Amino acid sequence: MFALGPLSFAAPWALLGALALPALWFLLRLIPPSPREVVFPPVRILMALARRDETSATTPPWLIALRFALAAAVILGLAHPILNAEPGLKGTGPLALVIDDGWGAAKGWNERIAAAQRLVDRAGREGRAVIVLGTAAKPEPPAVTPLAAAAARKLVESLRPKPWLAERRAVGDALAQWGEANRSPPFPLAWLSDGLEAAEGEARAFAEQLGRSGPVLFAEPPGERLPLLLRPPRSEGDALVLSAERPSAGARREISVIAHGDDGRPLARERLALPQGRTNGEARMALPSELRNRLARLEIENETGAGAVALADERWRRRPVGLASVGTGREDQPLLGDLYYLERALEPWAEARRGALADLLARPLAVLVLADPAPLPAAEAGAVVRWIEAGGVAVRFAGPRLAVATQAVGAESADPLLPVRLRAGDRVVGGALTWERPVELAPFDDKSPFFGLAVSADVRVRRQVLAEPALDLAERTWARLADGTPLVTAARKGKGWLVLVHVTANAQWSDLPLSGLFVGMLQRVVALSQGVASHLPGPPLAPEATLDGFGRLGAPPADAQAIPSEAFARTRVGPRHPPGFYGERGGVRALNLADSVPALKTFPRPANVEAMAYGASVETDLRPWLLGLAFLLLLADLAASLALRGHLALPRRAAFALLATALAAFPAAAQPQRPDAEASAIAASADPTIAYVLTGNREIDETSRAGLEGLGVILRRRTAAEMGPPVKIDPARDELSFYPLIYWPLGGGQRPLDAGAAERLNEYMRRGGTILFDSRGGEGESLLGMRALARQLDLPALEPVGPDHVLTRTFYLLREFPGRHVGGRLWVERAGERVNDGVSSVIAGSGDWAAAWAVDDRHRPLYPVVPGGERQREYAYRFGVNVVMYVLTGNYKSDQVHVPAIMQRLRR
Amino acid sequence: MKATGAELHHRAETLAAPLPPLMVAAKRVASTVAQGVHGRRRVGQGETFWQFRRYQQDDSITRIDWRRSAKSSHLYVRETEWEAAQSVWLWRDASASMDYASMPAFGSKRLRAELLLLALGVLLVRGGERIAVLGSNLRPSSGRIVLTRIAHMLEEGEPATPSLPVPEALPRHARVVLIGDFLSPLAEIKATLAAFDALGVRGHMVQVLDPAEETLPFAGRVRFVGPEAEGVALIGRAETAAGDYARAMAAHQAEIGRYTRSAGWSFVRHRTDRPPETAVLALYLGLAEPALE
Repeated sequence: MFALGPLSFAAPWALLGALALPALWFLLRLIPPSPREVVFPPVRILMALARRDETSATTPPWLIALRFALAAAVILGLAHPILNAEPGLKGTGPLALVIDDGWGAAKGWNERIAAAQRLVDRAGREGRAVIVLGTAAKPEPPAVTPLAAAAARKLVESLRPKPWLAERRAVGDALAQWGEANRSPPFPLAWLSDGLEAAEGEARAFAEQLGRSGPVLFAEPPGERLPLLLRPPRSEGDALVLSAERPSAGARREISVIAHGDDGRPLARERLALPQGRTNGEARMALPSELRNRLARLEIENETGAGAVALADERWRRRPVGLASVGTGREDQPLLGDLYYLERALEPWAEARRGALADLLARPLAVLVLADPAPLPAAEAGAVVRWIEAGGVAVRFAGPRLAVATQAVGAESADPLLPVRLRAGDRVVGGALTWERPVELAPFDDKSPFFGLAVSADVRVRRQVLAEPALDLAERTWARLADGTPLVTAARKGKGWLVLVHVTANAQWSDLPLSGLFVGMLQRVVALSQGVASHLPGPPLAPEATLDGFGRLGAPPADAQAIPSEAFARTRVGPRHPPGFYGERGGVRALNLADSVPALKTFPRPANVEAMAYGASVETDLRPWLLGLAFLLLLADLAASLALRGHLALPRRAAFALLATALAAFPAAAQPQRPDAEASAIAASADPTIAYVLTGNREIDETSRAGLEGLGVILRRRTAAEMGPPVKIDPARDELSFYPLIYWPLGGGQRPLDAGAAERLNEYMRRGGTILFDSRGGEGESLLGMRALARQLDLPALEPVGPDHVLTRTFYLLREFPGRHVGGRLWVERAGERVNDGVSSVIAGSGDWAAAWAVDDRHRPLYPVVPGGERQREYAYRFGVNVVMYVLTGNYKSDQVHVPAIMQRLRR
Repeated sequence: MKATGAELHHRAETLAAPLPPLMVAAKRVASTVAQGVHGRRRVGQGETFWQFRRYQQDDSITRIDWRRSAKSSHLYVRETEWEAAQSVWLWRDASASMDYASMPAFGSKRLRAELLLLALGVLLVRGGERIAVLGSNLRPSSGRIVLTRIAHMLEEGEPATPSLPVPEALPRHARVVLIGDFLSPLAEIKATLAAFDALGVRGHMVQVLDPAEETLPFAGRVRFVGPEAEGVALIGRAETAAGDYARAMAAHQAEIGRYTRSAGWSFVRHRTDRPPETAVLALYLGLAEPALE
């Protein structure tokens, strides 16, 4: 590297070539361009002159300057000049490039890669090999392979952040081992960090480990580039509690969390504040249960990386509620069945399952409802108790069977599925034989999970089972009647709850199942549940969809492995188990990155490193520019040589234009050429131009063109309308507004218009354009085509042309409008239908006019007219003239209608 | 850009269309001159009715006008006006130098020369004159068919013809129209003219030149090569030679003009970038006006 101020040369020896420039100067001056040879008849006269004029020609000075500049550009370009080049790397041997590509690196990844590329370029310029290592945890220890700069560049480009944690130690060990194995002198190292450390002192230890191998360059992201972490939400009642974390406490920051459904649609957005001086913040996201049941993903808005995404599975969704059929067939009866009201109440927001108790418990279940079951066998009761203790919520409704059971057994604690001890029998209030009236509910007290629900006044309880008074009865009571007797009691068992409702689940004993309160109470109970108890053994859960390092959900990578279902809760995110959804579709479970991430922590810059910044390079490589310039100069020299020898027969102006174009095109060569829409627009609007619609049938299109050409000739000869050459258009693509008249031959396999084309045509007609539809004498197929078109276009109501229509008198007085065929009717817009100066936006007929008008390039007609006669062709031309005059002049001739009246008035 | 005979003929007809029929002002009426449409205000061979006169003994019976005779008791002979036609021999240079065209748009000199020749032929035939192509061994003829024949002859062309016409035995007082570039050495041109003069033939010379041949619009170092192996001229800076060249060319033309005038001929210069009408008009005037003397 050889530097001149901000300019340095990577290959300074090439500058020696500049010594050859003076020699080149003389050489160029001495060799004149070879003469051009011209065949010239009056050479005899010249020969007399030539004898006098025999001086040796020299190269013109500007050509010398051009070639000199060319040579200079090549020499400078070969010297590889770089503006603002970065200093060289210290140490000898390859550059070890350690890139943090764990989950925290996704933010600002491009800057990280740009910095890595810069380093690779620097190493490449110095002829160093490059070792590229990512710190994200790998299944096997990292391999240290020095690569050539070009290969390293490709490798760096292919790096992507991984959605799991970094494991820097393994990289440090591998590098140290490599250094020892190769007895390498201190080699340069660069650590492009993500600014996070897994544990206190981990980063410093790693920097020291690197420092032992050689000088270390270190880059860390600026504070605002540090990643945020979204913890999986907690369910609290019917709301989700969102929790986000940042690596360093700072000023108050507000972020937004967006909830996405399983189909990717956003469901809700919630602002979350990270208060000043705190690293984490929380927010409640209240979702209606219908929306919440579709929740699949929560992510921090405008934040990239797997850490900003929390996946939600069944645990956060609609809870499965098991309705155990333990009675005898009665529960299916509408209005009377035990489970009827429960099912109706649960169905909208929870997944209600019915089945035998054993079947229900075999699958994940949040809440188990037992509606007045017959006494359970000991094995089943034991299973239920175990399930409750593992975190389930069981809700039991009282009923006649329970009342009988309490009387029959009488012994306490005989039934393990009761939260409180019950008195024998039941209590009837407000029966035919009592003075008491049915009792209403008391408001819920603030310790009850039902607190906050409005007690509806019309709920009456007529019959119930009674709890035996006990010391803890009050705290076990969640709801009581107005006279103080408990209505709902509950007891904590292990991690779960056992709830007893002292009335039936149907309307037999009370009005409770009929009221909205019943639904509210069930919701509270279900919200209380832990979600799905998930310690049941099952098949291994294969990855279904996983997050990549940028937090995008996609197909799982090839080395992702299935997780045994019983180990799922303990599984940590890693290369074998990237975060994502695991399991069968429908019953997937979410493995979240945040569960594996300890508290976020930044680290101070280690002492033994040299800092560098992220971002793209400030250095400018001048070599491609100089070589490109040399190439341009070479082209110019070629052109100049050719011009001097006369082989370039371009007019001077054209040559300059060509050169200017070539120069202008050079930087823009990669850009696609714009179609010359402007040129065609100018051409189309310079003269009034009739357009014809391309049908895709070549013959029809050619006839249309020739016909309009012929009509144009007639118009030029006979009228003041100087028509430009006809233009073919495709309504789907071309601008229509330049053409006063569009000729549209139908039939010939017209494709249906797409919506855009139809809209443009409608707009064209609204803005005053006229379309001449010609079914070309056809009836069947082309009329069908017209009908299909009419359905797409906003065509006005049509009527046949009357004898007084302006069209019959705009230029010629016409009574009929023959084309190649006669007798067809001509249809125009009904008078007064639209404003548009009285000009119909549609003229439709079947004359096949273009064929009658069509001429070849010697103005001879191309097609015979039927039944025949040049008179008919003449009338066809007259019709064409009238149509063009009609669209050009509008209602100008319509006052001809009043001529008789005017004449009469004048005579009077 | 080689036009077919029919096309050339068509173009010549269009070119000649605006001009009235050309009658060569025959200076002298001689018996050698075939009779044509020039009314001589005398009785003689011709198409136009002149007078009826009484039949005389030595008149051929075929000359009796029976329609007139039937109206009276005498026999009448129909006499027509004596009309005479001039013969005009046309020639154009078909040598290699005539194929030169500095720009394709102008067309070659040869094309222009043939066009002029044929246009002139059209005018002459329309005027009833008899025309022939010099050196073609065709007899002069006045029918329109001769035009077609000439057009075809021009189209076929003849290889390696000399740059100047070879004088051949022409009737006295015949007219000659020579169309070419006349870039041959002045001595040769002079000799040719003298040969024609010796035959008592008068004529017109039309020099067709490409614009480049007058202005030398070249620049830089140019090696000029003659198409007929005249030689090679290497000009170092062609742009500076243009002035000298133009003067030399003007001198050449002036010299030809002088020769022709002294021989009683006319001399017309024409450039292929000018419309051919100008040359046709000049020729028309030259042929129609009473010749000098």
